[in-house]
Amino acid sequence: MSEPVMSPVMSESAMPQKTFELRILRYTPGRDEKPAFGSFKVTGAEGMSVLEALQSIKDTLDGTLSFRWSCRMAVCGSCGMMINGTPKLACSTLLRDLPPGPVTVEPLQNFPIERDLVISVDAFVKKIESVYPYLIPREQKTVAEGPHLQTPAQMAAYESFSDCINCMLCYAACPQFGENPDFIGPGAMAMLQRYNGDSRDGGRQKRLDTIHGENGVWSCTAVGYCSEVCPKSVDPANAVNQNKTNSAFDFFLRFLRTEQPQ
Amino acid sequence: MSAHQNEKRSLSPLLWLLFGAGGMLSALFGPALILITGVLAPTGTGLPQDFLSYDHALALARNPFGKLVALGVISLFFWHGAERIFLTMKDMKAGPAKVLAIMTYGVAAVVTLATFGLLLAIGF
Amino acid sequence: MNERRPYHRPMPGNWWARPPYRAYTARELSGVAVAAYGGVLFAGLVSLSRGPESWDGYLQFLRSPTSLALHVLLLAAMIFHVITWFQTLPKTMPKMIVGGKHVPAKKITRIATLAAGVASLVLVLVVLGVAR
Repeated sequence: MSEPVMSPVMSESAMPQKTFELRILRYTPGRDEKPAFGSFKVTGAEGMSVLEALQSIKDTLDGTLSFRWSCRMAVCGSCGMMINGTPKLACSTLLRDLPPGPVTVEPLQNFPIERDLVISVDAFVKKIESVYPYLIPREQKTVAEGPHLQTPAQMAAYESFSDCINCMLCYAACPQFGENPDFIGPGAMAMLQRYNGDSRDGGRQKRLDTIHGENGVWSCTAVGYCSEVCPKSVDPANAVNQNKTNSAFDFFLRFLRTEQPQ
Repeated sequence: MSAHQNEKRSLSPLLWLLFGAGGMLSALFGPALILITGVLAPTGTGLPQDFLSYDHALALARNPFGKLVALGVISLFFWHGAERIFLTMKDMKAGPAKVLAIMTYGVAAVVTLATFGLLLAIGF
Repeated sequence: MNERRPYHRPMPGNWWARPPYRAYTARELSGVAVAAYGGVLFAGLVSLSRGPESWDGYLQFLRSPTSLALHVLLLAAMIFHVITWFQTLPKTMPKMIVGGKHVPAKKITRIATLAAGVASLVLVLVVLGVAR
């Protein structure tokens, strides 16, 4: 019996190595008056991501460096941060794709900084919770009656909004959220539209009634940068702005509504 | 409870619809109108020299359809510009919101009323 | 160590003048041209309502090189408005599904911009035709 053929596996140390410099905004509450930059030089595989560089720093240079991460593959939404001034996911941003020179890493813009690259998500979570983020079935069906059916076309109507990973890059991108932290914002509106656009759902009016005010859709000025930075092509700008149309029509048509909102 | 729930309704939808109507009207016909009234007619290019004569202009303003067009274009163009200028100046923090609102929406409202009044006064 | 003291970093006061927001500010400023042209028409209406002498004065202005230059600038700004308007328009519409597939925003923009170009062209031709 012949030996199984093993293809040579390139070990980390055999891959071309490169040294990168990262300028990271640091902040320790209770010790620092305000955030300040710290510089680190990281040597690692040439194809390393910003996240891998941060992990290398934490492992070998400064164990106090704090940052959120989980899946390493752009589905959990944990590692959002400002990389060279642009909101990006650290796990899917490769250092070799950035311009040469020191890379500036800061916590997500427009959010309070808890520590280093960790920001407060409390308000965002409340916004998500506020849009009734669950299917409110249009028609009640028993299990015996079978599932709610949906055509591919019906799914296409809301599909992009269901791809949201709650990474909050869109909030970092939105200058109106930066000016007004009470603005419901692109991510929560994407969640809202994911359900309002779902043919199985019957809670449209209920959700619409949460966004008619200045902190609802009307803080948006259609900058559109949120959709540009979204790593999942959710198109939150569309979620917000199509609901301007809905809110505007509702402004006049509400007097014709006979049924009470649930 | 988030700050945006149970908020009182904003007037923004109304202003946004006016902005949208003005934006669409100007997007469809703006270039043509500027070309006609600002370049072709004054220079007599493609149009007779008397196109802008007093009698001709008066006849246009006295025509009910002409009145509608004049009111629609002037008023909606102002409402469109007002919203954009208001929001941009708010972005630039050029002043308190109430002052900016009067300088923009206020002017649009005055121009709308004035246009309506002048078109009536010009007669039929 | 367990003390929370979140630090708030405000946006720079001139965020609207820096990339990536510069394009948005430029787009919004094209609205000034729309209102400005409305103002030119309004001035005409006021002159007209004041009588033939006043209207003559307005015509004098329209025929001046200053006015022509102004209108050329307004035309350029208006065309910029047209282009950016239809780039933004698809955002305000629900996802368009044709033949089971989502119609991309760029396609809507292209068709709408073309339609607007045709609309303006038709208006010019109609006015030129009717005036003869």
